[in-house]
Amino acid sequence: MSSIKPFKISIPDSALSSLHAKLSSATFPNELSDAGWSMGAPLADIKRLATYWRDTYSWRKAEAHLNTFPQYTVPISIPGHDPLEIHFIHARSKRENAIPLLFIHGWPGSYYEVLKILPLLTNSSDPSIPSFHVVAPSLPNFAWSDGPTKKGFGLEQYAHTLHGVMQALDYKEYVAQGGDWGGFLSRLLAKLYPSHVKAVHTNFPVHAFPKPWRNPICFLQAIAGIALSSEIRAGLAHTQKYFDEGDGYLKEQDTKPQTLAYALTDSPTALLAWIYEKLHDWTDAYPWTDDEILTWVSIYVFSRMGAGASTRIYYESGHPLAGSASRMEVIQSYIPNVPLALAYFPNEIVRLPLSWAWTNGPVVQQTTFEVGGHFAAFEVPELLAGDLRKLFGANGPCLGVVQGKRGF
Amino acid sequence: MADIKEFKLEIPQTQIDALLEKLRLSTLPDELEGSAWELGSPLSDVARLKQYWQTQFDFSKFQQQINELPQYVTPVTVEGFGTLDIHFVWQKSQIKNAIPLLFVHVSAKAEIHLSCLSQGDGVNKPAFEIVAPSLPNFGFSEGAKQRGFDISKYAEALNQLMLKLGYEEYVTQGGDWGYMITRTMSLKYPEHVKACHINLARPSHAPKFFENPLLAIKHAIVPYTQLDKQGLARGRWFSAEGSGYNLEQSTKPQTIGYALADSPVALLAWIYEKLHDWTDNYPWTDDEILTWISIYHFSRAGAWASVRIYYEATHATNGIARTRAGSYIPHVPLGIARFPQELYGAPSTWNATMAPKVYQSDNSKGGHFAATENPEAIVRDLNIMLSPGGIAHKVVRDRSGYQRFGSKL
Repeated sequence: MSSIKPFKISIPDSALSSLHAKLSSATFPNELSDAGWSMGAPLADIKRLATYWRDTYSWRKAEAHLNTFPQYTVPISIPGHDPLEIHFIHARSKRENAIPLLFIHGWPGSYYEVLKILPLLTNSSDPSIPSFHVVAPSLPNFAWSDGPTKKGFGLEQYAHTLHGVMQALDYKEYVAQGGDWGGFLSRLLAKLYPSHVKAVHTNFPVHAFPKPWRNPICFLQAIAGIALSSEIRAGLAHTQKYFDEGDGYLKEQDTKPQTLAYALTDSPTALLAWIYEKLHDWTDAYPWTDDEILTWVSIYVFSRMGAGASTRIYYESGHPLAGSASRMEVIQSYIPNVPLALAYFPNEIVRLPLSWAWTNGPVVQQTTFEVGGHFAAFEVPELLAGDLRKLFGANGPCLGVVQGKRGF
Repeated sequence: MADIKEFKLEIPQTQIDALLEKLRLSTLPDELEGSAWELGSPLSDVARLKQYWQTQFDFSKFQQQINELPQYVTPVTVEGFGTLDIHFVWQKSQIKNAIPLLFVHVSAKAEIHLSCLSQGDGVNKPAFEIVAPSLPNFGFSEGAKQRGFDISKYAEALNQLMLKLGYEEYVTQGGDWGYMITRTMSLKYPEHVKACHINLARPSHAPKFFENPLLAIKHAIVPYTQLDKQGLARGRWFSAEGSGYNLEQSTKPQTIGYALADSPVALLAWIYEKLHDWTDNYPWTDDEILTWISIYHFSRAGAWASVRIYYEATHATNGIARTRAGSYIPHVPLGIARFPQELYGAPSTWNATMAPKVYQSDNSKGGHFAATENPEAIVRDLNIMLSPGGIAHKVVRDRSGYQRFGSKL
């Protein structure tokens, strides 16, 4: 398709100078003694990262590395909005009949999360293991993608955009993999395009709490006394902790993303702290390097629409236009016919009983892992790739779901 | 008393220059078309205010206006935290037995309006002597350096201040955190706190039959008034749409602290959203807004310290739950001023459970920052409570607020 153009990142020098100037005049708060991580990102970490970012970190080196991946843009039209230029990675396996896989990131992630798992998925060296053609877009308002200028760009619009990218690439049938927003969007795609989306794999198993408890904290407290396996108890205690201590960002982003945007746009250290807190809290002791953290955050700093725009998905999903699905509705939906596979990582944000997955669709695979967290593709790419290979492999429940593209 | 020192605000020019430089370098986000106030502080407002702050706001005049008030600073001992310097406005009265009033508001500017209170002549209206502190972590008071400075500590600090100033007995008026702090003070120090007036009330629950049989019956039979219902609706709105800042500050104050420390524009937007959403169409001038925000920016402990109160109140380990202030507290008569745009408006029958004697006023104008928006209502309530026939008349020993000759009694 002629409208697909190759893309290379080229951040202007002025943006780098501006970042450097701000880091040079950064003002830090103090910290209460012995606060550790309990009150948020610790001061010593943020100062160290800010200093490294200002003095040593090289965006140009990171940019050059990012540009070694096959990147493109394509304009996608969404009714009611101006066309959006969507950035994506498109990495094809050497195997012609590799399975087209749409990889969807979330917040505070980006397409950067796919880069480690990419070679594992496209790898065709072992003929007994399925291989994939991977399409990893930047969601609208993230990284190098365009974003809407009007309200009303909700979850369905995000899903239509992603489907549009797959169609532009002539992948009539494909499978979807996602965590965080990517998990919800994968399932929403299966609902909107059941003849195109042949399987969904998610590493973000989030389900609605059974009625009559609408408030998760009340529910968790209520069932605390009921006899449950120690595994489920531990999972629910972990989940309780998120609702007690970890969802402040969610409430703010759900309700006042514009107010937050001033902070995320004007102060690189504010943005760093806001994201870094989650890179720590939501991973399973992943040994982040400073370069990884700062590339991750720099993508937000230099993003086409600005860091402040990335959180609008939260607001829109909670204030849907009439007839559109809210986030809660997506979480609650049972989507029939499209096989659903779930991967359970121990430091995911919420850890709910495996039996609840059946409220979302026909479950064909559930794998529980001993290590890994919210950003599974980045933390434990070999485990996530292994789970996909199992799902679509010779003995897998989704063998050959995409017509003519078995992957091996 | 030698360590009660006069206070004058003197902001070093280097700090002002640093602020102006940050404003000059600041980067603003874009905005979705037509979003108005729905997603937060609107871009055109923030841009205008930033520009005004940077190019026209008069920092000298700002300091002068603050320094027109009689202000002091004194170290106060708080158990477990050593001593903290507390800054306060102290508006003494000519009238000998003026009632000592501790005025507890987070907004640093509200005391300017309370000057109308001390105009009480002690003949027709009770006279008050006002102490209006900056809370620890706010304004020009020192901040706590360790974990655990919860509401009971704020209460302790303010009680210590009043005792140090020679007031064994006093009355309190409070809003925002001042509500919880003054109610905690009346719980902990009923020998000192003789009456309490609040412009925010969060009663824990409707009247229960075994605690308040008559109120419970009334609650069961008499329908909620229009004001009752509006208050409850406003509370639901606040919980659904307006409490993101609250949850973030209650769980990760350090994380949001980086934004408040590093970006004056972020601080401006964060606070301005509430100056708009929480008031009853109060016609803020740009000077008023920027005065408010400048006090946070130039605060002694730093704007980032001010949000720790949310975290500490939520994680208190002293056994006084965050909701205790909303339950029955004995001994201390309570006045409650209801304002239509306050964030929580409990029904009258619920409010009536909070103290042995409760006086309630229903006001037609005002919101969360009532002391700024409608100070006359608060003054009126205090006058009613403390004058003959009021529920708190002569509660402070030897300080009725009235001159002995020509007294109405």
